[in-house]
Amino acid sequence: MGQARDDSMFPVVHLEGEIDLAVAPALQGQLDALLAEGATTIVVDLLDATFLDSVALGVLVGSLQRCRDVGGNLHLVVSDRRIAKVLEITGLNDVFPIHDRWNGLVGKREEQTTQ
Amino acid sequence: MNSSAEESTQEETVELTFPAIPELVVLARFAASAVAARAGFDVEEIEDLRLAVDELCASIGQLGPESCVRMEFRRTGGVVRVQCVFEPRHTMTRHRRTHHEAHRSPGDLSVQLLGALVDDHGFEDRNGFACGWLEKRRGFVTR
Repeated sequence: MGQARDDSMFPVVHLEGEIDLAVAPALQGQLDALLAEGATTIVVDLLDATFLDSVALGVLVGSLQRCRDVGGNLHLVVSDRRIAKVLEITGLNDVFPIHDRWNGLVGKREEQTTQ
Repeated sequence: MNSSAEESTQEETVELTFPAIPELVVLARFAASAVAARAGFDVEEIEDLRLAVDELCASIGQLGPESCVRMEFRRTGGVVRVQCVFEPRHTMTRHRRTHHEAHRSPGDLSVQLLGALVDDHGFEDRNGFACGWLEKRRGFVTR
């Protein structure tokens, strides 16, 4: 699993490789830590991830709810078609704000800051 | 990919047993890939089976080193059937109660994924141990 990076106005969790039930606890810990530090909106960068199972997805869904409870959101950056398929099958592509590249997310951030 | 093995209707069985540790579920995905390729699945079908097998492992019990996962991958022509049994590593009497406690219902996300990725799947209690199975045919279109 990757690490948080700070080249965004939001904290970013960068994930690499196969994000499965073995990785899910560490992902949960990382997201919990960001929320405990006061983050309300988090970006999860899945551009370098190649696999996502329901256990890891459940962690993301739980954290999305916690972000929204405090007025924020949890954004996903996804380009891998296999991960996009998982989100589509579960219907979560309509629940998460999803971006296929960083540029899209930057645009979103600019949009938000001008409001 | 049209090797003679793919066209063969001769049955092949791969058996895999590993401690029920999350880090080792990757072995089940690897075996699924190999058997799916033998069955002539295309790349997307192989990926579907890998994910479905992962979901099967994640669904049948609370993973932990005191238990083990026993899997069987059976290929007949272009059909792959996978069975996954979650059982204690040591004596049945010592672990049976714990194992019963470990039984759990598959999560909603897992059920959605399995339903979409494979032709058929199910869960059952086999002599007190949690068992899950799935079947996927070459050419099956994801729902």
